Amino acid sequence: MARPAHPHAMAPSVPGRTRTAPPQLPPQFPLSGRYLPYTLFGATGILYLLAGLVALRVVWALGSGPAAWQSTQQQLAHPLYVLFHALTLAAVIFVGVRFFRLFPKAQPAKIGPAKPPPAPVLTAMLYGAWIAVSGGLALVLAGGIF
Amino acid sequence: MKELLLRLEPVIWLLFGQGIMIGTMLLTAWLAVVGVGIPLGIVSADALTYERAFSLGSTLIGRLVLFALVALPLWKGAHHMRHASLDLGGLERDPIVAPLLYGVAALGSLLALVAVIRL
Repeated sequence: MARPAHPHAMAPSVPGRTRTAPPQLPPQFPLSGRYLPYTLFGATGILYLLAGLVALRVVWALGSGPAAWQSTQQQLAHPLYVLFHALTLAAVIFVGVRFFRLFPKAQPAKIGPAKPPPAPVLTAMLYGAWIAVSGGLALVLAGGIF
Repeated sequence: MKELLLRLEPVIWLLFGQGIMIGTMLLTAWLAVVGVGIPLGIVSADALTYERAFSLGSTLIGRLVLFALVALPLWKGAHHMRHASLDLGGLERDPIVAPLLYGVAALGSLLALVAVIRL
């Protein structure tokens, strides 16, 4: 049975002398020109990480009983929490728009005999799923359904 | 550690991708309603009383959604922050940054699993 290849399986035993120039950062990196949205895209990582930790706290409180739940809800109403969540919501929309626009371009031309759907169809499917999931979950959370 | 990270890279990229795709879809509604709507009074706080939140969250689908809502953004965040650190600071600090960030994501995912089992 085949084993997964060692990560360095193709590396030469003795590294060869590089003949390329040492890498240099472009002068516009990281906050000018086309690098700005790229850097902001990376910076959303910290907001996602923190949002995940806050969500963990909320779910944990739900399992700890009504008093813990009530206390957490009161803390979430603090202006700093609201500001953080509003900023994170903006970041999430930015990530969604950027990623769903990029996704069709990143698809392989073919996987075996199968071809991906045309880019506009793929984009429409992604945005449709985003709107459906977000709208459905928002309705559930807001008490509109169930 | 470097070799372990290289071996885990396909799994980490998968979790990162799902963090962007599914995490973004779930976080949009969560942040809009729980993070902003209810605290600002746009959505009635009665929508998420303890009884209602518990009855929604303790179903199988509710637990799966809550687990994904916590774990996937953690992996997206950790992987993106690691790459931002590589872009801005190079490889030198990666032996500390990568295990730290992935450790937070892994521990958070484990706690998320415990949290949804407790419901």
